[in-house]
Amino acid sequence: MTITKIPTPAPTVSTRRRARRPRRPAKTAGAYLLLMTLAILFAGPFAWLVLAALKTKAEWVSIPAKLLPEAPQWDNFTQALTEINFAAYLGNSMFLSFLYAILVTFSSAAVGFGFARLRGRGKRPLFVLLLSTMMLPQILTLIPTYVLFARVGLINTYWPWVLWGLAASPFLVFLFRQFFAGIPAELEDAAIIDGCGYGRIFLQIFLPLSRPVLLTSFLLSFTWIWGDYLGPALFLDPDQTTLSVAISAFYLDPHGNPDSTVQAAAAALYVVPVLVIFLFAQRYFIRGVVSSGLKG
Amino acid sequence: MATERARRGRPSWKRHSSGTFYLFVSPWVLGFALLTALPLGYALAISLTNFNGRSDRWRWVGLRNYAELMGDAEAIASLVRTLAYTAIAVPLMVAGGLGLAVLLNQRLKAVGLFRTIFFLPSVVPIVAMAIMWKLIFNRDAGILNAILEKISIGPIAWLVDPNAFYALIILTLWGLGGGMVIMLAALQGVPAELEEAARVDGATRWHVFRHVTVPIISPVIFFQVVTGIIASLQIIIQPLLLAQTGQVGNVGEVPETTHLYMVQVYQEFFVNSRYGYGSAMLFVFFLVILAITLFVQRSSRLWVHYTVDREADR
Repeated sequence: MTITKIPTPAPTVSTRRRARRPRRPAKTAGAYLLLMTLAILFAGPFAWLVLAALKTKAEWVSIPAKLLPEAPQWDNFTQALTEINFAAYLGNSMFLSFLYAILVTFSSAAVGFGFARLRGRGKRPLFVLLLSTMMLPQILTLIPTYVLFARVGLINTYWPWVLWGLAASPFLVFLFRQFFAGIPAELEDAAIIDGCGYGRIFLQIFLPLSRPVLLTSFLLSFTWIWGDYLGPALFLDPDQTTLSVAISAFYLDPHGNPDSTVQAAAAALYVVPVLVIFLFAQRYFIRGVVSSGLKG
Repeated sequence: MATERARRGRPSWKRHSSGTFYLFVSPWVLGFALLTALPLGYALAISLTNFNGRSDRWRWVGLRNYAELMGDAEAIASLVRTLAYTAIAVPLMVAGGLGLAVLLNQRLKAVGLFRTIFFLPSVVPIVAMAIMWKLIFNRDAGILNAILEKISIGPIAWLVDPNAFYALIILTLWGLGGGMVIMLAALQGVPAELEEAARVDGATRWHVFRHVTVPIISPVIFFQVVTGIIASLQIIIQPLLLAQTGQVGNVGEVPETTHLYMVQVYQEFFVNSRYGYGSAMLFVFFLVILAITLFVQRSSRLWVHYTVDREADR
């Protein structure tokens, strides 16, 4: 991955320590002990999920709870893949996540460019409106949107995601605006002198310069849709829905109760892409979260 | 600024028409109109009807839904629960995030690894989160009760009343890493010289933190409080998925203590098919959230310190 170094206005979290007076060893040991304990609390649920996914049904319901399975039951994973049409739901999740992430990244970049580099009447109130929609609970508009879309026949289609994608995300617009605002005006000036229009300036100068932000935006929005529950639960029928709905609802034993061990295996598989993306691109995630969280 | 413009020749805003600006921002403007303003307006309109989502034989009922809501004990109870949940969860989230950030802002090895571990839960999809925690909270087979029994507590039925409420708080707190990362970035932006100077003047570590560090990062804390409140108020998926079979339609299985306002709204819409009444509930909630946000904004004047003039970076 080649990412050109360019000045970025978004603050990054660095682990570089500032000069501080030397600490006493006892205090340091205490801090580590605290950090380790907290780390176990935060990582524990992942471990318990994987352990549950490797247990037999008898082991899972045994009282008192057993920590480790006697022999890892990899079969739970096979069952998770075959008990429901896992591949199809995976495909739906992938398709919707890619579709939305690509559309919303491009539209948010364009809007961010508009707010960062262009002028127009009413720009400031519009920007304030944009920022205040970041504060608007999504859920308030989601249910009326469902009712509205049901009336015009957009339920059980992927059109809502296309529309949401094209509409840009205030959060990502803000991210792009912050980045674009930090790019020197000389670049734009030179292009204008050469007779370049703003469309080309955006596409051929600003977009190529903003690869790190584009990646941040893509990864964040991809994981939003990948993890979204209410959207697919409301807007899609069971056969068209995504992995998140399928995993929560479709793994049932003959009594209609959740089939815990198989469900745990499926949940583990479902989290993997997010964890891989996150570990691979941690700094982009952090930059995305931080730069929109530091400025109100 | 002025000299820079003079150097560049023509001021940049004269080089293009407003049209170019509107062209670029039109995706969001249209999206806002169609996907935010229109649904909200639509909700307001149907809140004045007895529309049930299917039949076209609805009629205007005026403010009857709103009048009914004022006397709806169940809805008001769910609102009070939601406010209680917010009042408990948000301070814990913000303080916890700040605490972790302070811990990670020390001169220690492997800080990056710990940061990753604490941040990771906040990117886990909500469904996976709910499944994980149901495995932990399981009364008989869960690890939490297994540990508690070692110290002779329990077993506790975590997912039924009244403990379901605490289970929900614990689940929420597990995701405080997102806030932590923002606080950590803020802490690293605090000029070390200021803290050093205070230390030299004889202030204790706590005093420096309380009177130097916290005021400097107070805008970030404030932002965390506001977004935390808004996120907590609209919580719906967590209670639905933590319920017995964990399917979104089974609203009836949600324990009373986690039957929050949005769960009640969901029930009115999709179980009782009372779209008009549900919309009225949404609208009232919109006003409640707006009022709370404005109140917090106002109170911020007392404790949020802006070190830079916010108008200056316009």
